Amino acid sequence: VASTLTDRTCSAMGTYTYTYTSRPRALPCQRRRYRDHLMQLAEEPVHHGNIMYDRRVVRGNTYALHTGPLPGQPDPIEIQRQQQAKRRALAKKRAQEQFRPRTPEPVEGRKHVDVQTEMYLEEIADRIIVDVECQTDAFLDRPPTPLFIPAKTGKDVATQILEGELFDFDLEVKPMLEVLVGKTIEQSLLEVMEEEELANLRASQYAYEELRNVELAEVQRLAEQEKRHREEKERRKRQQWEVVYKHSETAQKVAARVFAQRYLADLLPSVFDSLRDGGYFYDPVERDIEIGFLPWLMNEVDKTMEYSMVGRTVLDMLIREVVEKRLAAYEQRDDQPPAGKPKDELGESGRMTEPPVGYELQEQSTAQPQRPLPGRDSLQRTPDDGRYMESVLAQETKLMEEAEYEQTKIRKTSGTEVLQPRGDFQP
Amino acid sequence: MAHARISMYLPPDINPTQAAIAYGCRALPKLNEELQSEDLLTRQKALMALCDLMHDPEHVYVAIDTGCLESLKVLLKDNNDMVRIKTTEVLYIMATHNVGREGFLEHDVILALSSLLNDPQSACRKNLHLAFKHVALLPSGAQGIVNSGLIPSLVWKLQREEEEIQGLLLDTLAACLTEDATEALGSHVVPFLKQKLLSTNDDIRSKAARTLIAVSIPLEGKNQVWQHDVIPILVHLLKDRVEEVQANAAGALMYATVTTQGKYAALDTEAIHPLLSLLGSSLSKARLNATKALTMLAEAPEGRKFLQSRVPVFRVLEDDTSEAVRRAAQIAVKVIEWKP
Repeated sequence: VASTLTDRTCSAMGTYTYTYTSRPRALPCQRRRYRDHLMQLAEEPVHHGNIMYDRRVVRGNTYALHTGPLPGQPDPIEIQRQQQAKRRALAKKRAQEQFRPRTPEPVEGRKHVDVQTEMYLEEIADRIIVDVECQTDAFLDRPPTPLFIPAKTGKDVATQILEGELFDFDLEVKPMLEVLVGKTIEQSLLEVMEEEELANLRASQYAYEELRNVELAEVQRLAEQEKRHREEKERRKRQQWEVVYKHSETAQKVAARVFAQRYLADLLPSVFDSLRDGGYFYDPVERDIEIGFLPWLMNEVDKTMEYSMVGRTVLDMLIREVVEKRLAAYEQRDDQPPAGKPKDELGESGRMTEPPVGYELQEQSTAQPQRPLPGRDSLQRTPDDGRYMESVLAQETKLMEEAEYEQTKIRKTSGTEVLQPRGDFQP
Repeated sequence: MAHARISMYLPPDINPTQAAIAYGCRALPKLNEELQSEDLLTRQKALMALCDLMHDPEHVYVAIDTGCLESLKVLLKDNNDMVRIKTTEVLYIMATHNVGREGFLEHDVILALSSLLNDPQSACRKNLHLAFKHVALLPSGAQGIVNSGLIPSLVWKLQREEEEIQGLLLDTLAACLTEDATEALGSHVVPFLKQKLLSTNDDIRSKAARTLIAVSIPLEGKNQVWQHDVIPILVHLLKDRVEEVQANAAGALMYATVTTQGKYAALDTEAIHPLLSLLGSSLSKARLNATKALTMLAEAPEGRKFLQSRVPVFRVLEDDTSEAVRRAAQIAVKVIEWKP
C-alpha cells in the first residue's frame, strides 16, 4: 500500500493541493468491536470494512449536505447531550438484545457477509435523508467462546455391559498390583541392601584396619624388644669382656710389680754398695783434705825430704870430700906415720857406712815403720867408737831423729790415712 | 474436533538441564559424543545426564569401555566452571565403584585430576578430593597416588584449604600413608598434623590422629613424631571429649612408643593414667589401642613398675567381648610380669 503525499506538482507555485494515492485494497475496519482479549490466542479474523457502509464515504447528493448545527443556539452542546441520550438508549437496547437469540456467530475463519444471491445484482443506494450520528458503545468484554458442539453425525449405538460380563477387577488387578508393588519393593530392597552392604564393608574395613594396626604395633613392639634384648646382651657381654680384660691386666700388673719389687729389693743396697765402692760417697771435708791438703802436704814433705836429702847428700859430699881429703891427707900421713888413725878409718868406714846405714835406715824406716827402733838399736850397737864418731853420730842421730820425727809424723799421718782404708785388711 | 492447543504443562519427565538419554546401549556412546561437542550447553547437559547414569556400576563399566574417560580428561581443562564442577562430580561418582577406580588407574586420570588442585571453585576442589579419597581406599589406588608424586602437594594443601576439604584430605593422606610414608615425611607432614590435632573441629582432630597413626608406622615417622614433640599433644588428646579422637590418639601413641625415646617421652608426660582410663571405654578400638600402648610402655622398667599394681585391670580385660582385646590383654599381662 503506497500512499504518498505529493506536493511536488504545486510546490513551485507555493501552494500545494493535497493528493492521496493508494493502490486499491480492501480497507480493514478500524473499529474494534470487542475489548481487547487478554489472552489473544489466535488472530482475530480481520474485519474488512465495506465501503458501502463506511461512514466516511459521502453517499448521494453532496449539494444537500447537512452543513452543521443551526446557528443561534449552542448546538454542539445540545447535540452532544442528544448524542449521549441516544447512546444510552442504544446501550439499553443492546443490553436487551443480548438476551435475544441471534444467528450463531460465524465459525472461526468465516464471516457473515450480506450477499445478493439473486441473479441480478441490485445496486443498493440509500438516499440518506436523515443523517444520524452514532457513537460506538463502550468496550464490552469478549464473551467466552461457546463450546462448539458439532452436529451429530452417525448412528447412535449403545452397548450395555451387564454385571459380571467383563472382568473381575479384584482378580485381574492382583497380578498387576503384585508386579507393581513387587518391583517397587524389590528395587528399594536392592538399594537398601546395597547400602547395608556398603556399611558392612566399611565396618569390616574399619575392624580390619584396627586389627592390622594392632598386629603391626605388636610386631614392631616385639621387634623392638628383640633389638633391645640383643643390644643389652651385647652390652653385657662387652662389659664382661672388659672386666675380664681388666682383671687379667691387673693380675699381670700385680705380678710384674711383685717381681720388680723383688728384683729391685737388693738393688738399692747393691747400688749403694757399688757406689760406695766407687767412692761416690765421700765426706767432703775428707775429700777436700785428700784432694787439697794431702798432696800439698806430700809435696811439702817431699820438699822437706828433698831438702834433707839434699842436705844429706851435700853433707855426704862434704864428708866425702873431707874424708877424701883426710884420706889423701892420711895417705900422705900414712906414708909418714902409719898407725895413727885406725879409729878414723873405722870412723870413716863407719862414717862411710853410716850414711848408707842411715840410708838404709831411712829406707827401712820408709819401708817398715817398726824398723827404726831396731835400726836405732843397730846404730847404737855397732858404734862403740870414739867421740868423733859419737858426735857425728849425735849429729846424725839428731838429723835422723828430726827426720824420724818428721817421718814418724808423716808416717803417722800417712799411716793413719793408710791404716784407715787398710784397717779391714790388716787384722 | 479437538483443540490443536498443546497443554500448558510440560511433560513430567523432562529435565531441561539434562541431555536426552538414548535408549539402551546407545546411551553412553551418544553421551560420549555429546561430551566432545563444541557447544557449551550440549556439553553441560551431557555431563548432567552422565552424573545420573554413573550411579550404576554397569554403566560405569560401559562408559570406561567407550572411552568416556578421555573426553572427561579433556573437559577437566575446560574454561567454564560449571563444566569442570560437573566433570569432577562424574569422576567422583565413578571412583566410588571399583570398576571406576581401576579405570582411573589405567587411564592416568589421577594425574589429570591433580591439575585442578588449585582450581578457584571450591565445589570443584571438593569433588576432586572426594574422588581422591575414594581412589585412595583401594591399595593400588593409594599406590598410584603416591607414585604420581601428589603427596607433597596434598600435604601442603592441608594448610590452605577450608575445613571440609581438610577432612577429605586427611582421609586421603591416611590411606596413602599406610602404603608409603617416606615422601610425606620428607614434606613436613608431622608439623602440619600437629597443628591439626589442636583444631576445634572434632572430625578434623580424629582424622588427623588417624593420619598420625599411619605416619608413625615406619621408623622414620616415629623419630619425627618424637622430635616434633607431638607425644605430649597426643597424651592430652587422650582426655578428649570425643571417643573417636581418644581411640585414634591411643593408636598413634601405640606406634610412637615403640622406640625407647618415644617410651620415655610418653612416660614423662604421664601417659599411663589416661590410657588406663581409656581401658574402660565403650569403643573397642579405644580399648585395643590403649592396651597395646600400655604394653609398649610396660617394656620400660619404670612403666613396668607402675603397671604391676594395675595387673587386675588387665585381667578383667581378658574377658572382653572382642577377641583382639582379649589377646592384647594377655600379651600385656605377660609383658608386665616379665622378669629379666
